[in-house]
Amino acid sequence: MKRFRVTQQEIVFVVFAVLFAAFSILLPGFLTADNMLTLLQNVAVLGILGLAMAIVVLGRGIDISLIAALAVPPGIVLQMVQNGHSLPASIVTALLFAVVFGLVNGWLIAVAEVPSLFATLATGIFVAGLGQAFLFQLDVVQWSPGMEGFQRLGQGAIFGVPTPIVMFAIACVAVAVFLRLTRWGAYTYAIGDNPNAARVTGLPVRPIIILQYVLATLIGSFAGFVMAASINSMPTRIFNSTLIYDVILVVVLGGIGLSGGRGGVLNVIIGTLLIGTMLNGMTILDIPYAGQNLIKGVVLLLAVITDSFLNPRNEETAQQGDI
Amino acid sequence: MSDDIVLSLTKATKLYAGVAAIDGIDFELRRGEIHALVGENGAGKSTLTKVMAGVVTLTSGAMAVDGVVVSPKSPLEARNLGIAMVFQENSLVPTMTVAQNLFLGQEHFYNRLRGIYIAAQQFLQSLNFDVTPTTTVGALGAAKKQMVEIARAVLHKAKVIIFDEPTATLTPEEKKYFFDLVRDLKRRGVSIVFISHALEEALALADRITVLRDAKKVVTDDAVNFDRARIVQAMVGRDLSNTLYGVRKASVRKAGDRVLVVQNLKMAPMVKNNSLSIFAGQITGVFGLVGAGRTETFKIVSGVLKRDFFFGGEIFLRNKPARFRVPALAVQSGVAYVTEDRKVEGFFETASIARNIYLGLLSKFPRGRALLSRREANTVGSNWIKALNVRAISDEARVVELSGGNQQKVVIAKSLVQEPDLIIFDEPTRGVDVGAIVEIHDLINRLADEGKAVVVISSYLPEIMALSDRILVSRQGKVVEEFSALEATEEKIMYAAIH
Repeated sequence: MKRFRVTQQEIVFVVFAVLFAAFSILLPGFLTADNMLTLLQNVAVLGILGLAMAIVVLGRGIDISLIAALAVPPGIVLQMVQNGHSLPASIVTALLFAVVFGLVNGWLIAVAEVPSLFATLATGIFVAGLGQAFLFQLDVVQWSPGMEGFQRLGQGAIFGVPTPIVMFAIACVAVAVFLRLTRWGAYTYAIGDNPNAARVTGLPVRPIIILQYVLATLIGSFAGFVMAASINSMPTRIFNSTLIYDVILVVVLGGIGLSGGRGGVLNVIIGTLLIGTMLNGMTILDIPYAGQNLIKGVVLLLAVITDSFLNPRNEETAQQGDI
Repeated sequence: MSDDIVLSLTKATKLYAGVAAIDGIDFELRRGEIHALVGENGAGKSTLTKVMAGVVTLTSGAMAVDGVVVSPKSPLEARNLGIAMVFQENSLVPTMTVAQNLFLGQEHFYNRLRGIYIAAQQFLQSLNFDVTPTTTVGALGAAKKQMVEIARAVLHKAKVIIFDEPTATLTPEEKKYFFDLVRDLKRRGVSIVFISHALEEALALADRITVLRDAKKVVTDDAVNFDRARIVQAMVGRDLSNTLYGVRKASVRKAGDRVLVVQNLKMAPMVKNNSLSIFAGQITGVFGLVGAGRTETFKIVSGVLKRDFFFGGEIFLRNKPARFRVPALAVQSGVAYVTEDRKVEGFFETASIARNIYLGLLSKFPRGRALLSRREANTVGSNWIKALNVRAISDEARVVELSGGNQQKVVIAKSLVQEPDLIIFDEPTRGVDVGAIVEIHDLINRLADEGKAVVVISSYLPEIMALSDRILVSRQGKVVEEFSALEATEEKIMYAAIH
């Protein structure tokens, strides 16, 4: 049964290579060292968010509240330090907040059995609103003197590599280890592949789903820490942006099937590279914001359609044995 | 008049993945007759009616309505030909009123509710149906819902109305009313086909009866020429050359310890006060027709069924009360359930064979190591693949690429790797090729010889007869009869299973 089949990640990688080559030749100022650095730095945060999203999508879920997880815990750190608390205490508080946030998401989806799309939509809006209404004094939470040392998470370079990229690499390795080498990673794939079979086999389905959302929220917050450190502030209005669509774009485009169980860290990296190149090229081309959205919309649509062709859900086909 | 054929099928054959659901069936329906279809589960009754109703298209053979050859490809096309089917599951919209349901799909552009209420009222009165057109369907009882379905069929000018188990959900009074309705339809010249497991009903109501067995037609005859014994005989009588299921058991295994006791188990609407015991070292066959509550009972035992309905009664596993909330707890206590529907809840299709089996092992020991061991996965995988003779290109082949029999072996291996001492096989050879059936039966016998408590749920009598040491017959939500394999005959079992 040897069949020739092009996987989505191969297609996307080729598209990326072609796009990259075209930009390099046609766009003056694209293939410069400076621009490459900007490109990678810009996509690092997107890539880390993509990893968080990948974990839940592999488990046949989706987490729309990731941007709230990105914005609010780092905002808490900055605000608490501004208010005179120590940096370690603030970080611990923010992480606890993120864990509770993830637990609530997981509980809603695994135990209350609310569809993940709606559960995370609601919790995301709630947490973002909570932050803006009660936790933060300004929309942009500013850097304060007590934050010394924190910026090393997002600025400068380690062994000559810009820090955000190193952070993305660390996140990649951690998520890859979780997914490929631990039993919980294996469970995540199994649940995404066939949740009923996972249950009947005796896998701890509910605890694993909760774990997925806690991890996603923590990784999302990590992306926020990197972002806050690199720009020395936390613009909490980012929740109102279209960033979450870029994250979904990365995951789906990279070839992680929305039907669960298919894909891995490599797909996130490929998706991030393509989206990063595309966004960067469009910015250099000076395409207006509306035009960029138009292009992103078309690409996302194409990716989702390709996904449903390559990875069809087959609950329907399973029904045919009825005589 | 008697040769006025409304609908006929000639050499009708439908294959599902090479397996015949109906095989060369000739069927004729006269105008204004009531025709009963009887047969075991899987005999092909449902498929036959679905062909008539346009739900299923024939692989080969022909269908004719009023002598004109037709091949309806959808229920809508069949309805336009005058054939309507009333399904077991209601096909009404529960939140809409009776009138809205009657005219569903036929509304005018400007859908005046008052207009359809008046039309529905007149129409229902002309049929003598006592249903108020303005009530919502969800508020009606089963019998009235059925009336609405029938009314809709008549409204669509159906010449042929097909019922799948029409009386299964009705109370005795409602049944009587239903029979009157059907006779009234007959007087109007409508032909009725109905599937029934209740033989008395078929004998009382039908003009003619067709018996199906193993996808083939056994006999069609006037109902007056039948009695209960003749129908049962026709349903189960198999050719003796059928050696696939081996010869009858000469001896049975002795019962070991009592492993499982179920007392007065209740779960609406499928399980009613069910009580039974399962012993180690033997195979207990559980036979029953669809809807007898067999699968549900054992899904409760193994924690697979979610607690959606009222639940009562007690379960004891090795004399200790056991009520598993989730299958994980059952697995850790040594109870394995091998599902009847492997595609929906059996295997992980994108994962390899070895990974599938390894996942079974991992869930048996939840406190085991956190990191996966590639070596352990490979050895466990290849050992079981060898032990159960799974035929695949490699251990890394994906399960979805295997044949039905090999998929089933993987699902079984995934449970056996958990070393259960109570193993429940639900329809273990459904959709499995002939060679694999023999292998799976050998395996089940070996497990019992090793002293495990084995339960085999099957709707297929020869399978029950070939495997069981002890046979439980389930009917309407509880075990009603118990046989030793030595005293049981197919007729006795079937007699107990149908009401």
